[in-house]
Amino acid sequence: MKKALGLLLVLMLVMSILVTGCSQPAKEEPKKEEPKQEEKAPEQKIKVGFVYVGPIGDGGWTYAHNEGRKYLEEKLGVETIIKESVPESQEAEKVLNDMIDQGANVIFTTSFGFMDYTEKVAKANPDVKFLHCSGYKQLDNMSNYFGRIYEARYLSGIVAGMKTQSDVLGYVAAFEIPEVVRGINAFTLGVRSVNPDAVVKVKWTHTWYDPAKEKEAAKALLDEGADVIAQHQDTPGPQQAAEEKGVWSIGYNTDMKEMAPKAYMTAPIWNWGPYYVQEVKAVMDGTWKSSSVWEGMKDGIVQLAPLTDVAPPEAKDAVEKVKADIISGKEKIFVGPIKDQTGAVKVQDGVVMTDQELLSFDWFVEGVEGKIK
Amino acid sequence: MLYKVVKRSEITQGKSFGIRTAAIILALLTSAVFIMILNLNPLEVYASLIKGAFGSNYRIKQTIITAIPLVITSLGIAIAFKMKFWNIGGEGQIMMGAFAASFFALRYPDLPKPILLSLMMIAGMVAGGLWALIPAFFKAQWETNETIITLMMNYIAIKWVTYLQYGPWRDKGALGFPKIPNFSDNAILPNFLGIHIGWIFALILIIVVYIFMKHSKLGYEIAVLGESENTARYAGINVKRTIIIALLISGGLCGLAGMIQASAVSNTLNVEVSGGVGFTAIITTWLASLSAPFILLASILFAALIQGGSFIQTAFGIPAAAAMILEGMILFFVLGSEFFIKYKLTKNGSAKSAAGKGEI
Amino acid sequence: MTYISMVNITKTFGKVTANKDINLSVDKGEIHALLGENGAGKSTLMNMLSGIYFPDSGSIFINQTEVKFNSPKDSIQAGIGMIHQHFKLVEVLSAQENIILGQQMGFFLNKKAIRNKILEIAQKFQLDIDLGKKVYEMSVGEKQNLEILKVLYRGAKILILDEPTAVLTPQETAKLFKIMRRMKEEGCAVIFISHKMNEVMEISDKITVLHKGQTVATLEKNMTNPQELTELMVGHPVDLSIKRLDRQRDTITLKVRDLKVENNEGIEVLKGLNFDLYAGEILSIAGIAGSGQKELCEAIAGLYPIKSGQILFKEENLVGKNPKEIIAKGVSMSFIPEDRLGMGLVAAMGIVDNVLLKQYQKEKGFFVDRKPAVLKAKEIIKKLDVQTPGIYHPIRDLSGGNIQKVLLGRELDTNPELLITAYPVRGLDINTCHKIYDLLNEEKQKGVAILYIAEDLDSLIALSDRILVLSNGEITGVVDARKATKEQIGLMMLGEKIKETEGAYAV
Repeated sequence: MKKALGLLLVLMLVMSILVTGCSQPAKEEPKKEEPKQEEKAPEQKIKVGFVYVGPIGDGGWTYAHNEGRKYLEEKLGVETIIKESVPESQEAEKVLNDMIDQGANVIFTTSFGFMDYTEKVAKANPDVKFLHCSGYKQLDNMSNYFGRIYEARYLSGIVAGMKTQSDVLGYVAAFEIPEVVRGINAFTLGVRSVNPDAVVKVKWTHTWYDPAKEKEAAKALLDEGADVIAQHQDTPGPQQAAEEKGVWSIGYNTDMKEMAPKAYMTAPIWNWGPYYVQEVKAVMDGTWKSSSVWEGMKDGIVQLAPLTDVAPPEAKDAVEKVKADIISGKEKIFVGPIKDQTGAVKVQDGVVMTDQELLSFDWFVEGVEGKIK
Repeated sequence: MLYKVVKRSEITQGKSFGIRTAAIILALLTSAVFIMILNLNPLEVYASLIKGAFGSNYRIKQTIITAIPLVITSLGIAIAFKMKFWNIGGEGQIMMGAFAASFFALRYPDLPKPILLSLMMIAGMVAGGLWALIPAFFKAQWETNETIITLMMNYIAIKWVTYLQYGPWRDKGALGFPKIPNFSDNAILPNFLGIHIGWIFALILIIVVYIFMKHSKLGYEIAVLGESENTARYAGINVKRTIIIALLISGGLCGLAGMIQASAVSNTLNVEVSGGVGFTAIITTWLASLSAPFILLASILFAALIQGGSFIQTAFGIPAAAAMILEGMILFFVLGSEFFIKYKLTKNGSAKSAAGKGEI
Repeated sequence: MTYISMVNITKTFGKVTANKDINLSVDKGEIHALLGENGAGKSTLMNMLSGIYFPDSGSIFINQTEVKFNSPKDSIQAGIGMIHQHFKLVEVLSAQENIILGQQMGFFLNKKAIRNKILEIAQKFQLDIDLGKKVYEMSVGEKQNLEILKVLYRGAKILILDEPTAVLTPQETAKLFKIMRRMKEEGCAVIFISHKMNEVMEISDKITVLHKGQTVATLEKNMTNPQELTELMVGHPVDLSIKRLDRQRDTITLKVRDLKVENNEGIEVLKGLNFDLYAGEILSIAGIAGSGQKELCEAIAGLYPIKSGQILFKEENLVGKNPKEIIAKGVSMSFIPEDRLGMGLVAAMGIVDNVLLKQYQKEKGFFVDRKPAVLKAKEIIKKLDVQTPGIYHPIRDLSGGNIQKVLLGRELDTNPELLITAYPVRGLDINTCHKIYDLLNEEKQKGVAILYIAEDLDSLIALSDRILVLSNGEITGVVDARKATKEQIGLMMLGEKIKETEGAYAV
């Protein structure tokens, strides 16, 4: 018994030494070696961190970001570090701190749920630059960036609206957040621009990344009569469901042609590479300023993947025409009259919804079958 | 057969330490092969595993922060295990503790800090204790299998928090993103020497639980009951009462761990708040052979493994799954070594004093 | 012709020398008794013969050939079979399955051939056994028969029986002796470990006495007598007679009225008992194993649910009180179950913590104070001569006799007014038995009412004041021990059952 007590005391001593030992120099900045090198070289030694919500192999959202990262490495030759499958919880905060500890000085956090944690860590580390994807918070050292993917979704809606025979379309969606709601609305407007009778049914999965769950949701939609499946999910699960059923699908994030060759028609896709290069280059040049970026097809962040042979032949011309209008600014997409699900006019004729309204979208347009909690 | 397995009747501390060390070395050697398959240098990976856990003040702090809930939960589990009540429900008890603490944090965000934190702590312990009380009651009353009930109740607790997160407690200001609002500053545990004061609780609790188990009447009754229910009844121990009180304490400690995680680490409630601590703590408790001081050691080592494992992921670009395989391999060998602490292999022909100390 | 010979065997465990230069030789067709006190080294010696331990020095010869056993397997192959005190049987398997378990055999079992072989052996040695019966359904005697059959099936020509009668009724013992005589006739060698002098004198041909790990003497049975053997065994002259303390009858301490209890299958195991127990009296309970002794003890101690009736302790009804309250009133129970550790002791704890079991509830406050328990533990060790590596050493490592001493020592230490003691001398050597008889007499002198349950009728008659005979949950009579005879009690133990179904006494 005495032995155990002795051991306990020793452990406590060790513990207290550790704690006091590490509490004192805490003020001195944990990454002491890095700044020295910075001082010597006029060009900052840049280490870029990427925090991903899913695994790189998801074939979707995270995959697209990682392609952007590879493009960045190739173009600028900077060192990058990554952490995949980070939960949108306190774990994210820890991962950010870990990355700073490992010398990262520019960090991209690529999921909405990382926003608050990014903000918290950004406040504590003013020397590190943070770029958060898909959120709205901004600090002196924290940008937010996103793309107007709804533009491409609108185009994909045109393809889907032309293809459907049952006039029922399924939409597998992750969370009831404005980003997703906006996408569903844009898609529906696109569908109904060519097929006014069609409806879009929505199923929520409450996960960004869960191949099985996403597929199940798609199957449920197919059982309800949908013959085109679109998705706001990070994996090709819904595409496979459509492929198995022998109907058609619209992908998301990346070109998903190979995952469902008989079903896949096109997909709104991301192209982050150029943006990443631009931002990191600005940091290297010392010209970086925090910003709130929301670019669309005009800048190339957002694109529509090439239409496959499965897509209706007449769709190509229609899409090209509208696409040109979007890039030129002629087609604003969310422009009145827009009715909500009850049929009441929410946006008056000719009125264009502001970005602010788009960023807090919390209602569905007419033609959507589904509920926002 | 060339070798045979013989039960050890007794083992010196030095010898068991030696066996554990050998197990770790073996684990490292086996993992080295795996690391080489990944085209990496094992020595570098191991060095950074240690560096990742203890290499800087920041990392030591992170390791300690990871160890805090492990220590407290392990202490709680140890009390139940001492009674041979297999409480697999630490995860759920943490969840419910975090839930009850969050209730006060969200409902009374403006209470003075000491009052609010005390309320949260009491709520956490009571909720964790009550959550453990349910299987304890069933066991005491109808001798149900506590392993299954505690395990199932984990899922109920997790789903309950999920429901709150997506439903009634969802943050209205998060634009539909399913999260529960962050706590006010008054509901967040303060730091002491750079780490949230959970570490002080953990150290104090180690001493308290040690004294409780070794020198209190209740601790003694728990130990007797764990060894033989017949003897306990014979000695006039109220078996039902002992089971229930022990589980209230066991669950209460897990609930406190939940409160600490919600308050100091997440600053809110979510399904990730326990992060598997309830299960990991079973391993640390077992490794520490239910002894409070050794729980500290086992928890720190485990936290270091988690922390270091996370570090090498980013440092070497190892996929998350591969890092987990490494952690799993090390764990496998260390747990496997427990077998050799209880048993030993003797070569046939050298069966000298095989059973050590027999009846004399 | 010498069959087995062990020459100059020495074995040490750490600092303890368990066997020192022991010599033993046994002939074919001989029953050889190994006699010695608890801890004299009998079990250690036999464990070396059965390959469990390996001697530090010395040699073992079987049929004049030197052998080295590295495992029990080697020993079995040399024709040695040991029947341990604790049976090594699989409860859920049948007798036959237990016999063939672990045997090397082909992929397919020729069950019929195996069965015939087993039956042949059983018949040869007059072993009465039902091969299809599951072990958990068997009585202790049947299990023992099965163990014997098992080793014989494996080809044992040398049989070692380690205190085989400790757990048997007199009838079962008689049966066992019959089997042993058959083996002798078949030319087997039998080594028989026992404490019971009368049994040793009855069955053995030669006797080797061990004392403190050394051979004292090997004697022909016909050339010696119990007195001599006991003195050799103990190492000094002893008085073999059990003293009965005569004492004036005092007030009644315990009254039992119409006590009925049912087991969990709803079968009545005590069928309305009525008896009184006086202060300063030893009331013995005689009966075949399973006649309700255990249930009676537990009912008084508050551990067994009572269906109806009264248990009046000093005119106060104990029925409905919990064990803690009953202990507090001064009722103490020491029950030595067949496995010795089932109830009353915590195997994984040391003597101190086991003594504490009856102490701590009297202490005030939240904490336990171990200091008095430490003192008491030391006192018990000294008073009862308990052999242990230390007061904190887990008692599971102690020998059976030492464990019993700890239990009884603790119970007596609580200064009870009513002491229930069941099988306190089970498996103990003569010297220790007498020590325990003396302790009981001491308590009696103090005015403690003692309910004494034991198997050995001789000591029962010699020690107690009155004898209550239980048969199948009923009292068949209470007799004055001064006038009782073994035969009379034996008949009462069999009760009326013997008229109903012949030979159904092995409950």
